[in-house]
Amino acid sequence: MSPTYVYGLVRSDAELPEDLVGLGPSGTVSTVVHEKVAAIVGDVPLDRPLGTRDDLVAHEAVVDSVAAHTTVLPMRFPAVIEEEGVLEELLEPHHDRFVRALDQLEGTVQYTLKGRYDQDVLLREVVEEDSGVRELQERIRGVPEDAAYYDRVKLGELIVKALEERRDVDAKDILDRIGPFAEAVSATTPTQPEDVVNAAFLVRRDGAEEFEAAVEELGGDTHEWLKLRLLGPLAPYDFVPEE
Amino acid sequence: MTVATQTGGGGHVDRGGGGGSSGLADVVELILDKGLVIDVFVRVSLVGIEILTIDARVVVASVDTFLRFAEATNRLDLYGKGKGGKDLTELTQGMMEGGAKGKTAGALDAAVDKVGELLGGNNREEEQEEAPRRRRPQRTREREA
Repeated sequence: MSPTYVYGLVRSDAELPEDLVGLGPSGTVSTVVHEKVAAIVGDVPLDRPLGTRDDLVAHEAVVDSVAAHTTVLPMRFPAVIEEEGVLEELLEPHHDRFVRALDQLEGTVQYTLKGRYDQDVLLREVVEEDSGVRELQERIRGVPEDAAYYDRVKLGELIVKALEERRDVDAKDILDRIGPFAEAVSATTPTQPEDVVNAAFLVRRDGAEEFEAAVEELGGDTHEWLKLRLLGPLAPYDFVPEE
Repeated sequence: MTVATQTGGGGHVDRGGGGGSSGLADVVELILDKGLVIDVFVRVSLVGIEILTIDARVVVASVDTFLRFAEATNRLDLYGKGKGGKDLTELTQGMMEGGAKGKTAGALDAAVDKVGELLGGNNREEEQEEAPRRRRPQRTREREA
């Protein structure tokens, strides 16, 4: 009757790394196998709620360590079920669906690419190119802070707008350049004006080196104004098939 | 099959991720609201549920953001080479000190402190700066199909 944490699903013939450390008190990670699918499971802390920093990091570490070796279907954090439910409620009734999803993702990993403008470089560019921005700066100069409040808001708005216009162009360039090295791309609109791109790429394992090289080359060409951060290889978080 | 997770050779791309080497900000963005959902999972009590439901993908375009950029642009002139930098004086300085910061402090700072507490401290400076995020109402995620 003990609760069990489920990290993700793999094919039952998949080999998992040995050094996985789970979020439960024992830290152990094992598998429950049903025909072609295996659930990656571990124990759950009973004396506290889930959701600490360590829990999140442990979940990610287990799932992505497995992803580095084999195709894994990551569960959404947090996934807890009674021990006997792993077989009876999870694996048996959904076996075929899981097999289909694993087949679909077979041989792929995810990379997540984030790009952020070098703020100073871009702001300088905006100020140089945009006479409206320069005029507003002039007007603000010498005016007491409170009196210039609306002009400062307006100035910021102009800058944000200019950054977003540049972002649309630059993000497209980046995706056009890196996209061909991936099977699928899932891009989200960045939350901050200085963020250019935040995209997940589903990449074939045997094409991972080429993909990484393409990102490195992009980084080499753009490093003066763009800071790139590449996460991966990861589990295909953004490409889990919907039923 | 060699898929390495260590730093790439070129050096212009910051590398991370893959088996726990990411920072907390990366992890939160990667795993929250992502992954397979099956309706068999039991409801568990979560700590920091509000934090977990922050939708990092909500686009924030607010007065606070505008003021931040106005400030950054003026600071740029102050420290920048040329481009009118030498004309700007204490006025700009005063603006920087009393500008957007003061107006966004308070509730947001408190929220950041709470995040820090719940998640065991910020490990990246950026997390503190990205406080003005919108929150979604709480909802249960465990039983979504």
